[in-house]
Amino acid sequence: MMHAMLTIRRNGANPMPMTKTLLPLAALLGVTTGGCVQVQAPDKPIEINLNVNIKQEVVLSLKKDAADLITTNPELFPQ
Amino acid sequence: MTRRTKIISALGAGMVLVAGAVAGVAYAQAGGLVSAAMSDGSIGEQADGYLGFRTTPSSALRAEVDAINIKRREAYTRLAAQRGVTVKDVAATVGCETLTGRVAQGRAYLLPDGVWRVKAAAPIALPGYCAT
Repeated sequence: MMHAMLTIRRNGANPMPMTKTLLPLAALLGVTTGGCVQVQAPDKPIEINLNVNIKQEVVLSLKKDAADLITTNPELFPQ
Repeated sequence: MTRRTKIISALGAGMVLVAGAVAGVAYAQAGGLVSAAMSDGSIGEQADGYLGFRTTPSSALRAEVDAINIKRREAYTRLAAQRGVTVKDVAATVGCETLTGRVAQGRAYLLPDGVWRVKAAAPIALPGYCAT
């Protein structure tokens, strides 16, 4: 009887913790699966941004070399 | 060697000479072709560091511009190897330089947006990565 009572009580009490544990679980699932899908989308813009940042530095460091290349190869840069 | 083969080989040698002479003339004229095409805006400097066609070129003009671009890439590749950067980095930097100072007013140029424009009096609005 005690057992039956307990199980009944548990059954009665179960819906509360169930939803409490299930909700975060579902949210976690959503976040993880959502995260997996999203990884590909933000990956590209981030990469491009990095490239642009690096490029700006590289371009700055190459500026003089590029100018020299043009002046030493005038036949390649007709005007 | 029979007489016939001698004639054939002589003819062949003659043709090679003529072909060489024609190529020489074509080469001599090519510089003028490129300059003329730049002046009338049918070709122009691109932000990527190479010359490009704004309009469909003649085969002679295309050949000459392609030859220049191949030599440019060669020079870019050498510099890239020296500096430990990519050929694209060098080419883009050269593109920044040509757009800054080597496009005269009235000449065509191409920005990364793929739109050909004609240089006005104002400086060209350079791509963001161009160091100023």
